Amino acid sequence: MARSSRTILPRRMLLRGMLLGGVSVAVPLPRLFGMLNENGTAFADGTPLPLRFGVWFFGNGIIPDRWIPTLTGSGDAWTLSEELAPLAEVKSHLSVLTGFAIKVPNNAPHSSMPSAALTGAQITSSVQLPSIDQVIAPIISGGVAYPTGLHVGISNVSGATSLGTAISWNGPNSPNNPNYSPADLFKQLVQYANTGGAPKPPDPELARRTKVLDAVSADAKSLRTRLGTDDQKRLDQHLDGLSQLETQIQKLEMPTATGTITDPDKAYPNRGADGSITRQRAQAFSDLLVFAMASDLTRVFSFMFSCPACHGNYTDCGLDPTTFHEDYGHRLSPKGVTYATIGFNTGVQFAMSSLADTLVRMKDTPDGAGNLLDNSLVYTTSCVSESQTHGGTDYPLLVAGKAGGKVKGDQHIRIVDENTSKVPFTLLTAMGGTVTSFGMAEAQVNSGVSELLT
Amino acid sequence: MVGGTGTGTGNLGAAGSSATSSQNGGGQNLATGATAQLDLPSGDVPIGRLHKLTAAEFANSMHDLLGDDAPLAPVEPDSLVDDFAAIGASTVAMSPAGVGLYETATGSATDYVFSDPTRAAQVLGCTPVDTNDSACITKAISSFGRRAFRRPLTNDEVTRFATLATSIGSESGSSVLVGMRHALWAILQSPSFLYRVELGTASAADNGRLKYTSYEMASRLAGVLWNSVPDDALLDAAGEDALSSADGVRTQAVRMLAAPAAHRALATFTDNLYGLQLLGEASKDPTVFPNFKATLPAEMQSELEQRVDDMIFTSKGDFLSLYDSKTTFVNTELAAYYGLPAVSGSGFQRVDIPADSPRAGLLGAGAILVAYGLPQRTSPTSRGKFVDDAILCKAIPPPPPGVPPLPDMAAPNATMRQRMTAHRANPSCSSCHALMDPIGFGMENFDSVGQYRTQDNGSPIDATGTLADGAAFDGLASLGSTLRNEPIAGPCFVSKVYANALGRIALDLDGAALSALADSFAKSGNHADELLLDVITSDSFRFVAPSAGN
Repeated sequence: MARSSRTILPRRMLLRGMLLGGVSVAVPLPRLFGMLNENGTAFADGTPLPLRFGVWFFGNGIIPDRWIPTLTGSGDAWTLSEELAPLAEVKSHLSVLTGFAIKVPNNAPHSSMPSAALTGAQITSSVQLPSIDQVIAPIISGGVAYPTGLHVGISNVSGATSLGTAISWNGPNSPNNPNYSPADLFKQLVQYANTGGAPKPPDPELARRTKVLDAVSADAKSLRTRLGTDDQKRLDQHLDGLSQLETQIQKLEMPTATGTITDPDKAYPNRGADGSITRQRAQAFSDLLVFAMASDLTRVFSFMFSCPACHGNYTDCGLDPTTFHEDYGHRLSPKGVTYATIGFNTGVQFAMSSLADTLVRMKDTPDGAGNLLDNSLVYTTSCVSESQTHGGTDYPLLVAGKAGGKVKGDQHIRIVDENTSKVPFTLLTAMGGTVTSFGMAEAQVNSGVSELLT
Repeated sequence: MVGGTGTGTGNLGAAGSSATSSQNGGGQNLATGATAQLDLPSGDVPIGRLHKLTAAEFANSMHDLLGDDAPLAPVEPDSLVDDFAAIGASTVAMSPAGVGLYETATGSATDYVFSDPTRAAQVLGCTPVDTNDSACITKAISSFGRRAFRRPLTNDEVTRFATLATSIGSESGSSVLVGMRHALWAILQSPSFLYRVELGTASAADNGRLKYTSYEMASRLAGVLWNSVPDDALLDAAGEDALSSADGVRTQAVRMLAAPAAHRALATFTDNLYGLQLLGEASKDPTVFPNFKATLPAEMQSELEQRVDDMIFTSKGDFLSLYDSKTTFVNTELAAYYGLPAVSGSGFQRVDIPADSPRAGLLGAGAILVAYGLPQRTSPTSRGKFVDDAILCKAIPPPPPGVPPLPDMAAPNATMRQRMTAHRANPSCSSCHALMDPIGFGMENFDSVGQYRTQDNGSPIDATGTLADGAAFDGLASLGSTLRNEPIAGPCFVSKVYANALGRIALDLDGAALSALADSFAKSGNHADELLLDVITSDSFRFVAPSAGN
């Protein structure tokens, strides 16, 4: 994958020279993230501020009557619905899109529909196209440590769907499986934190890792010539992973991340086991993702609150220790339909509260002249609309953020029976994409939702 | 299968819906004709594919190469396709984060080995004196690399890894052992280790058909029979081209099936076959089931793995008798949980369930009853779908959109069966639920944690029913016997063994091969150990694709 690394390669060569010389000398620092022009709207050299993109996914859908805001319009003209109420703090940056419908045949509930919402295509034996985050990643990622993004998950319980437990794909049969451990992600990211003081000589082990990875890449390339087309693609992706590791090592040689990183074990010691659905786990991941974006370690993330048709439980918001999908989503609680409906609504609000935790942290984080959410887009969707009937109309679609001023925010747009693919296509355009269509077959679109954009 | 973990892709677009038997069960297992009921999907002629090591293959390989005590960090989860990690492994691509996980896992394991010079010497086979000791460095890399790559290294590869070892070993503050550790780290991160490379070459003696080389056969045999890398004996046999003939393959396979590693691989097959990964996420409501201890799911998994293992390797009985057998394996806790006489000692023991016990067979195994149940109640649909999938090879289409709301489950004194029967009155649901629910109703005498009961929600349980072909049963034990006698039972199991071994879905072009295997399986008295050897030595396993004229 072609990715810019213009600030990286020269520095790497410098550092290598330094190591071979065996002495520690002062080396030029890379462009500091804080070196902005007078208005804070771009870097001093005129390079635009980076854009960020995230997908935030929750399983099991919504109750359309309680999700759709009563009024359409922008600003004071519309107010949040019952299920969206937890997003009040970020209403200024929120675009709610309703009326949209999934256009691929619903061959498999909880699979066809999220596949269409995330990739713009039906699912066959796998997704057929990369998910929107991976379409956008090469456009915005530059030479960051994690160019294809950080991918995290709260619930690790599966649902009975062929989408499994990934919501991000590099392409068919190529899931970006979520990391369920905030402690593990912290361990990775804290290495990039610049703790101040004079530059320290890099750990010699970093250069050795690079030598090892160079040998592995050479070995992989010698294998490549023997393979068929499909396997060459698989191997190329493996090689891309190796190349990303090498980039990460280069950045570890001189940590520059100056943001505040929160240790989940200190801030959220009672957050629950990896894989359990708790708000504190979502908060721990939100802290870390915001640190990674503010420090420009990644510009892309996916956040799987729960997978399609997730069979996990929502005890953290007071629901019974049962299967949220069955007992609440399908209202099969032995305590009755009314009880189950109230509980399901509570569950959706719980997910939206966790989404708010991510978005508020982004809004509270300075970025250029504004905040991180100003320069981001976070696309939120689910695996179904009305949970009880596996509905695909009035699909849940939220967009948070303003993409550096390209997206208006603070509006409710209702277009009945419009193709859901128009939303990711609009986001792709706002992120700088230049393709003229998105998706395939019934779900394909070649125009976006102009109302979203400024 | 209901709810596979990882990134399973189920049967979508692959198998379609299977034909239903029009014959009455209870007769003989006539394989011919029954194979047609498998309704194999059409597909392109298979090509040689990279097979990414499954999580189990990676872990076993690392332990076999570095020692059983080497620590193993987690790697990417398996992608289950048609329930099998081995099938997903042939198509899945590694994510960038996944590549990072392999770097970490192989890094910490090699670090552990080389933190102790004695351990390092055992793995290397010699101890290099310094970076000039090219004899030992080359020998160690060639020997370790041959097992890791499942073939001799090329000269370029030996040079590449030896150069890496001497380069790092020559750094200031380093040593030759540090260099060797990094060379092994590189070998274990190479795609030649992380993927089984089995591409086949044109065989002149076989009309140019793509045939796996002897080294590729060593890789396949070790992957399928051991879930690991080959040992030196297998690689030596490959070096003599002894694996180019079916007889040569059989000789090695017989030897390998007698080794402890074969049991490890079979347990993984059992886990995939019966979806036992679901046990790991089968949470039960402690207020409803206070006696269901957190230790039980793992013990139940072990129980079922041992039952299958015993049937194939020790008892060598009729595999299909597993469906209604009264023999199982329990430890103290499980014996008490099942209400069986206490067993002595701390481990598992083979026991016979009393003849008058309602618990019997595969479906009476706690692992199945628990995995295919909900936190507070049973799910006859999930249980029925499990039987359709794992025993009858009957694919169930996913539910349609716009399902009308289900009836209120709070109806007083209604059993699960009564509530679901009302639900099935809806024609848009009934066509598929009729294939699943009646089977699940037959298991209703066992609750969601696998305990026997006679009442559900205060009303007596009716566990009678019929399969789609009309075969009648009354309760779980009877259901097991009925399934054992279904004509599709043998061919279905054969197709699972076949798909897992080949690492791909069985296609219509495999029909003739599957029929032959199903015939010999039936003639053998359903002996799975013989089936395994038949599959491994078949043309289907030794060639990249079945012959066009087959």
